[in-house]
Amino acid sequence: MTTYIVDYIVYNMETIFGQYIRGRREELRKKDRSFSLRQVAGKIGIEPSFLSRVERGEPTSLSEEKIIALAGVLGEDPDVLLALSGKVSTDIQDVIRKRPKLFAQLIRDLKDLPDHAVLRIVREVRDGDW
Amino acid sequence: MIELKEDALVFSFPAVHPEARLKITFQRTFRIPDDDKEYPLPPGFGAFPLRHVDDYAGKVPQRWIERGGVLLPMYQSEALWLDFMSYPTSYGRHAYPFAIKVATGKINAVTGDSWSEGLNRSPQDYMVSTEQPWLDGYCVEKGVIRQFVAMPLGAGYSAEEQITGEAEHGGIQIAVYPMKREAFENYFYFPKLEEAILVFGPSVCESCSEMGLSPGGRMRQEIYKDPFKLDDWDMENTSRCFVHIANSMVWRSITGDDPPTVPLTAKDYNDGGLPWFDYYNKDGKALSGSQKLDQMKSVAQKGKEKGDVPLPENESVTPDHIIKMRKSLMRDQVREGHF
Repeated sequence: MTTYIVDYIVYNMETIFGQYIRGRREELRKKDRSFSLRQVAGKIGIEPSFLSRVERGEPTSLSEEKIIALAGVLGEDPDVLLALSGKVSTDIQDVIRKRPKLFAQLIRDLKDLPDHAVLRIVREVRDGDW
Repeated sequence: MIELKEDALVFSFPAVHPEARLKITFQRTFRIPDDDKEYPLPPGFGAFPLRHVDDYAGKVPQRWIERGGVLLPMYQSEALWLDFMSYPTSYGRHAYPFAIKVATGKINAVTGDSWSEGLNRSPQDYMVSTEQPWLDGYCVEKGVIRQFVAMPLGAGYSAEEQITGEAEHGGIQIAVYPMKREAFENYFYFPKLEEAILVFGPSVCESCSEMGLSPGGRMRQEIYKDPFKLDDWDMENTSRCFVHIANSMVWRSITGDDPPTVPLTAKDYNDGGLPWFDYYNKDGKALSGSQKLDQMKSVAQKGKEKGDVPLPENESVTPDHIIKMRKSLMRDQVREGHF
């Protein structure tokens, strides 16, 4: 009798994030041993066992501060890593909170534009009444 | 559309042509002596800083906000010239033509008439960017302008006050009209080049610190006749801008930035052996001057009438070193002075 063991991989945020950072860390470790789990955990000030759970996609949560530190260690863009973990950096959240209608509309309008089309914001010189 | 980029007003008309772009800067310079001599063109010492008025709401008069536009700083009796810089297009590098109207205190600097929308001929009340690289002042005679000199608005010197009797507007007004696309492609058909080289208060201060431009010394400069047809200009697509002039003494209290340094005198510049300029456009026909503008009294003449001395250090100068710039060779020459 053949037993089929099927692994169900649940693709949630934590899994994607965990897999990503593990992938990056392992790639760096091939060239440089200071990117071991233990050493990277040490560099950002968390327990290795904690980092291990994060990389396995277990429902643990790294703070914004720790994610930014991790991005620095792994040479990743902090906003990209934050987005992967389902967060938006606090400074951006503040900007949105101050003018939520404006930014929500702006982001929706730009959502489908290809990268090269979203190049720059133009501020026009305003003409008034004279 | 107008953008403010690095102290320049950049006009673009994407609805007309993607390469229709013009850059206008306001150049710092020295005041030529206000005597009866005619002088060649003084150099530029870099652009005046420009700022959006909207960024200083509460620090500038409310009427500046109503007019929109930008502001720049000038010292009393400082001079200025306008630089019209075209961008080479991918059509044989020929620049896209624009019709440019300039007024000070809403008095047209070419005709002396009150500001109006649209372009007019007989007399021609605008300049053409492909013919006219610079404007230094009021067109008083054929081939002669009186230099733009800043004086406090309300003191009676400005062109606006001399012609209308009122000190209502001040500042500089600009409107730019692009050539119609069909006309441009008709005149300047060239096979497209592979690469398109596209370059491009606390307390609110009242009118004591608002400046108006006034007629200063005489300078040799022609305002060229439009070589195109009136119908070639696109009247549907125009951009205009009100440029407010704040007294440099209050610029810091408005913007928090230092104003540019006090300009040097014509005499010091000339004594330093530094060059003046002459522009030669052999195909261009010069407009006759405006009688209205010619009848104005220069700042020195008005000052004498009032018993003021508005222009310190106004002694005559004999320019020693004059660089001639021909229209066709101008590409790499710049009208710049360093000291």
